[in-house]
Amino acid sequence: MKHAMIYMTLLCALAGISAAQAAETLPLKHANIRLDQTTLRKGLQVFAGVCMGCHSARYVTYKDLMDYPEIGITRKQADDLRGEHPLTAALISGMSPADAKVSFGKVPPDLSLMALARRGGANYIYSILTGFKHDPTGRIPDGNYNVYFPGHRIAMPDPLSWLDHDPAETKGLEQQARDVAAFLTFIADPHQNKRHEIGFWVIGFLILMTLVLWLLKVEVWRDVKH
Amino acid sequence: MLKKILDSRASEWVDERTHLVRYIRFHLIDYPTPKNLNFWYAFGSIALAILAIQIVTGVFLAMDYKPSTMPTGNGYSEAFDSVQRIMRDVGYGWLIRYAHAVAASFFFFVIYLHMVRSMYYGSYKKPREFLWLMGIFILIFMQAIVFFGYLLPWGQTSFWGATVITNIIGAIPVVGNWLLHLVRGGFSVGGPTLNRFFVFHFLFPVLLCVVVLWHVMALHVVHSNNPTGVEPSKKNTIPFHPYYTVKDLFGVSVFLIIFCWFVFYHPTGFGLMMETDNFNPANPMRTPSDITPVWYLTPWYEILRTVPNKLLGIVGMVFAYVCLFLMPWLDRSPVRSARYRPVYRQVLFIFFVAVLVLGYCGHQPVTPMYTWIGRSAAIVYFSFFVILPFVHKFERTKPLPEDV
Repeated sequence: MKHAMIYMTLLCALAGISAAQAAETLPLKHANIRLDQTTLRKGLQVFAGVCMGCHSARYVTYKDLMDYPEIGITRKQADDLRGEHPLTAALISGMSPADAKVSFGKVPPDLSLMALARRGGANYIYSILTGFKHDPTGRIPDGNYNVYFPGHRIAMPDPLSWLDHDPAETKGLEQQARDVAAFLTFIADPHQNKRHEIGFWVIGFLILMTLVLWLLKVEVWRDVKH
Repeated sequence: MLKKILDSRASEWVDERTHLVRYIRFHLIDYPTPKNLNFWYAFGSIALAILAIQIVTGVFLAMDYKPSTMPTGNGYSEAFDSVQRIMRDVGYGWLIRYAHAVAASFFFFVIYLHMVRSMYYGSYKKPREFLWLMGIFILIFMQAIVFFGYLLPWGQTSFWGATVITNIIGAIPVVGNWLLHLVRGGFSVGGPTLNRFFVFHFLFPVLLCVVVLWHVMALHVVHSNNPTGVEPSKKNTIPFHPYYTVKDLFGVSVFLIIFCWFVFYHPTGFGLMMETDNFNPANPMRTPSDITPVWYLTPWYEILRTVPNKLLGIVGMVFAYVCLFLMPWLDRSPVRSARYRPVYRQVLFIFFVAVLVLGYCGHQPVTPMYTWIGRSAAIVYFSFFVILPFVHKFERTKPLPEDV
């Protein structure tokens, strides 16, 4: 039976490794994000200033941006962001889906869950945003050629291109891409920090309980002879 | 204290009227159990704990979920939105939903280990055939339940998974199309499908509980097998309480640590428990590049898929279950445990590997290589059941111990 366990573990490990390899056709860059308030607020700035030109985040409201402690902007900042929209409105782009379809050929996807809806999550977002290059074959116009996008032709024109013209700004591009990847990772699952925090105590408690139960088991089984 | 409660006059009063106390004594306290059960015997109790988790979390999810495909703009639906509402706005909704999703995967993991145990120690043999049959029924029920449940978030994988799997019904001769229409409630998977799947996802677990209860009651009639496969003498059995209540509580506790680690730190199970594409709303106009079911259904799906003919594929898949049902009668060796059956043991390992390979291939995109690997594994799967009735003829079993 022990052999069975070893075989199974090995097989599962093998399956896991090859599954992970098959999952990404192009190796994504590692975003190395942190979900702290500074990063998330900078990410929000990029999101509101650049992404929201076309994209929405239908599951996040202006009020959420105040209420989530990880972002926690003030009422004044929320008012500046929302303009005419009510505080409980979602972050909806000013561009209508119909207009976007005319301009880009397709409706820009909602970004609320983007970090969960693509393989690689934050790494995917970071890689795409920094992956706009010149097509070596010249078939795809600059701004629509992305080395990390499947098939390389992406409908979204390089959103951070204005940062890239000056080589000195490359660092700014990387940083902004990282910040917005962090922001999108956060809004895809806004309770994740709380989840990790509670998890620590839950698992800690369970380990203690398991130890106590083990001692109880040993005590109860003391009179059973093998 | 327990003894005091059960001996009290109040208990006596209840027992005279409903026999409740003697049921508790029979099933949970006095039930004689072999003393040599190892950790493989903990999975039954763990599965029961998971069933409880699923019922509790499921009931709370149903309070906030809306089984409606009504569009809410930009390709989203009321169903998808209500799930996100649970994840974001409902107090601890994220915990309830992640626990429900992770527990679904763990339920299968634990049940598969429970079956491995049963096959290895020969627990399906006389007089426990009925127990085995009900176990396979439980597996089929569970597969139906997750299939219904997976549609509910109304994401891409939900929609296309349900489309592909219900399509299978259409291949049944004569009544296929009629039946397909009946199951979907229309020509394609849509609002009516979601409504009825929600009802089934609630109804079937009730039926599952009945079968599980029956499974446990039947176990307590024929008693547990043990790693030696030899019937224990009276001096080698111990009462269920307190010995196995504490041991199983310990087992459940260990399980909970692993379970909670996933719920709190890797709730999507690295894309295996909650698939990435299902965070995109269902879009009937965009077919995903590859549609594969969740990992616990892949071995059966692969058997279906490797057969070139669709109808024969269904026959193959049904036959895969039939073989499992027939297991107690196919195996004719008087010795139960694989510990004393060198040939059966080897054959069984190969069978387990074949199931794992089937499961792995069923999760991969269709390529000629995977098709052929999957096909070979399917042949090995069925060969196991063909060889099984003859194993005892040339197998020299090791000497059995007198007692456990």
